[in-house]
Amino acid sequence: MVSLAAARLARPFMALPFARRKQIGVGLLTLFILLFPVLHDNDADIDSMANASAYATLALGLNIVVGFAGLLDLGYAAFFAIGAYYYGIFTAFQVMPPWTSFWDPLAFVGLVEKINQGGPDLVHFTLSFWIALPTAAVVAAFFGVLFGAPTLRLRGDYLAIVTLGFGEIVPIVARNMDKVTNGAAGLNGVQAPRLFGTSFGVSATPYYYVGMAMVALLIFVSIRLRDSRIGRAWMSIREDEVAASAMGVNVMRFKLLAFAIGAAFAGMTGVFFVAKLQTATPEMFGFPVSTMILVMVVLGGMGSVWGVVLGAAILQLLQSWFLQDLTQWIHALGELTGIGALGRVDLVESIELIFGIILVVMMLFRREGLIPATRKTAALSLDAQHAVVRRGGFTGLEALGTQDRETGNALDVRGVIVRFGGLTALNKVDITVPAGGVVAVIGPNGSGKSTLFNVITGLTPADGGSIKFHGRELIGLAPHDILKVGVARTFQNIRLFPNLTVLENVLVGQHARLRTGPFGAVLRLAWVRAEEARARDWALNIIALFGNRLTPRANQMVSALSYANRRRVEIARALASQPKILLLDEPTAGMNPAETLELAEQIKSLNNLGLTILLIEHKLDVVTRLADTVIVLDHGDKITEGRPEEVRRNEEVLRAYLGRAAGEAANAA
Amino acid sequence: MTATDLLVQQAINGLSLGAMYALLALGFTLVYGILELINFSHFNIFMVGSFVALMALEAMGVVGQQTVMSGFPLVGVLFVAFLATTMFTGTLGVLIYRFLLRPLRGVKGPAAMITTIGVSYILFNIVLLTIGADAKNFPNPLPPIQWAIGGAVLRLREVLIWVIALLLMGGLTYFVQYTRLGKAMRATAQDPEAARMMGVEVDRVIMTAFFLGSALAGAGGMIFGLYYNFTSFIVGFNAGLRAFTAAVLGGIGNVPGAMLGGVIIGLIEAVSGQMIATGWTDVIIFSILVLVLVFRPSGLLGRVAPNKS
Repeated sequence: MVSLAAARLARPFMALPFARRKQIGVGLLTLFILLFPVLHDNDADIDSMANASAYATLALGLNIVVGFAGLLDLGYAAFFAIGAYYYGIFTAFQVMPPWTSFWDPLAFVGLVEKINQGGPDLVHFTLSFWIALPTAAVVAAFFGVLFGAPTLRLRGDYLAIVTLGFGEIVPIVARNMDKVTNGAAGLNGVQAPRLFGTSFGVSATPYYYVGMAMVALLIFVSIRLRDSRIGRAWMSIREDEVAASAMGVNVMRFKLLAFAIGAAFAGMTGVFFVAKLQTATPEMFGFPVSTMILVMVVLGGMGSVWGVVLGAAILQLLQSWFLQDLTQWIHALGELTGIGALGRVDLVESIELIFGIILVVMMLFRREGLIPATRKTAALSLDAQHAVVRRGGFTGLEALGTQDRETGNALDVRGVIVRFGGLTALNKVDITVPAGGVVAVIGPNGSGKSTLFNVITGLTPADGGSIKFHGRELIGLAPHDILKVGVARTFQNIRLFPNLTVLENVLVGQHARLRTGPFGAVLRLAWVRAEEARARDWALNIIALFGNRLTPRANQMVSALSYANRRRVEIARALASQPKILLLDEPTAGMNPAETLELAEQIKSLNNLGLTILLIEHKLDVVTRLADTVIVLDHGDKITEGRPEEVRRNEEVLRAYLGRAAGEAANAA
Repeated sequence: MTATDLLVQQAINGLSLGAMYALLALGFTLVYGILELINFSHFNIFMVGSFVALMALEAMGVVGQQTVMSGFPLVGVLFVAFLATTMFTGTLGVLIYRFLLRPLRGVKGPAAMITTIGVSYILFNIVLLTIGADAKNFPNPLPPIQWAIGGAVLRLREVLIWVIALLLMGGLTYFVQYTRLGKAMRATAQDPEAARMMGVEVDRVIMTAFFLGSALAGAGGMIFGLYYNFTSFIVGFNAGLRAFTAAVLGGIGNVPGAMLGGVIIGLIEAVSGQMIATGWTDVIIFSILVLVLVFRPSGLLGRVAPNKS
């Protein structure tokens, strides 16, 4: 009966749209959290909820680093320690320099006070908790950049071990610098926060509210960042660093930003935690703490904001409530059954063992966590799936506006050399692409075609030569800067961001054309909203160019698309960056003849709009149809260049493709 | 002791530590070379190995510092303990791979690494909960033979450690270079896909790598016990981090590199403990790791890892 009534109540609720249900859910949760200390007047329980809030803020911070940007940080507790010691040192009776008149102005604003413990007057720092919170964020972010700058270039797995080491070093430094930190014994007499002249003291309730307010704030910040240009940039790095940089994301800067913001969250939490405990020892910040935070993130779902908060809450409740009860039940069971071993089980002490088991079990059976970051999308209707081959190129290009037709040479490649060890992949290659033209590069496998694209887009360094784009030297520029000047590309082996939607992939292409920074993203001012809306419109217009192929799938994960559709998304993503030249690496690979023809005509229509195109292609009918000029590479050398029909008859080309005998046969004929 | 004597003494100590780190580093390198996976469970397989050796010795009646043996009984007891340890840890490594890591092959991202962290944590806590937090006395059955080199002292245990380590490393080098499975292993390290197509059973190769690596870690754990005369649930972390540094320093994936790196790290630890302060040794070793990774990520002898584009 009860379940029936519940079902009857639930039905209208489930009928509401997801966003509305979510609003109601968040509202109820907020109400519960606000009323909890009033309804449940138990200091120990309120205290463990306050601790849970500290864990939740840590998990939210690590989620930005691990979940959003994909950087496995195993020493995250280091930043927690930095925030904690920052507040601890500036409020405890540990560092007390002799009093001089220098301190008078600081005493006036309340940062220090004069004390006398017998002997000369000393300085006691009295940093306010409310000033410490934001400044600790800044201090920790600074250390995040300091640790991150040398290490974030490393491959992901190396980063894990280096951060593990940093996480170890910070407590060691705290232990060894005993003059400042009081060593292993820890700081004593850290001040409790004061508000309107009253100290928080030892009651848990004020900490509870401060902690919950911090969780709410950081959830808000996390969500705002996630749903912005910043969050998309992070996720693109997580999914494919090379593609992200080729699409205009400054990978190093955004990794540092993730590290700094994650560190800032931890620094704030450190202040809160130490103010609550009123002591700080090196042991509070070791590897077990970093692991515990990682367990929360993994349990809740990497990249899932609500998930990691849930993960933190579950682990805290597990430690303070469930495991104690469960241990008692097991003991009772032991007495009942006469199995002595059960009486010795202590699940509270086994908590770290349980952490390990959680990590392993989640990775084996539910890698996306309890609340996955991405929601499954509904299957398409037959109607939406239906796509017909359309001839005649893109329609609706007017939505993209017109390009200024430029004259002269768009791309001037002169004497470019690329070597890989002993192999010369490109040997003094010269290529000219006139503005508004279509140039195709052909050649057997291993002839250096893709290397040519990589060197133009800055992914492979050149060993000599020059590449000028509208007169501007590209060699030496980073890939994201090359995209910014108007060179966009696709990849031969498709490098999309598989766990982002079609729309998000295309929006990443817009990255370099948008200005929203982290503060803009969090505050979401009017201009940020307008910019985001424009970017979405633009991206949807580009997706709409491909008609039924992509539009119904705009909110699907790219990983669920067919091969040909992925190629289309990659082209859409490149177009979204508003390029002046488009570099297409085998765009029709894997497409059937009809689809190939469709795409060839679409490329032609882009060219008619004024877009310059450099193309690698094996299908000679596509090349003949599109290209004004064909360049043939073989073993890193340019063997010929000319109009398509000329090149087809060139004997050197035949030899390169078909072998020496074929060349001679052609010669004899 | 004069300064020279001190230096000789630290070189002796450093070589012994280095031999232990080298054995442990080989396990990291074997697995990384094939799977590009930092196997964090290796840290505590080493620790488990030291406890298995301890139990094996105690089971044979070699307890604490009182039992002193010599000649064949000594060699026999050590050999049996060695076999028990390496078989146990080797099997443990294979089981970990077979049941926890193999299902994750082909999964992108940090899933496998997170699993090894979890496994490492499980091993650590099982030992903590069952054996306890106190350091345990490790038997020392070696006769107190020692030689004076100037003012420095070379003890029998150091010679024994060098001999064991050299035999194991020689055996591993022979295996990797000259046997069929060893060749398959090197081929898989170069390109798993190509190796598979050429008929290499990649899964068997990986299991072999896990078995050998974990067995060597177990041997390292036994050496740890013989050298320091104690063991504890906590010893895996520092030794593991140092051994990993050694593997990276030598060039990860590179078998001779791991040995060279191990010896260098052992020497650095011994000398820095002497000349600076033991409290900062971790910081020094770790700074080396960061510097190598940043400025010479391929290590001294070159990185060997699958070519993935």
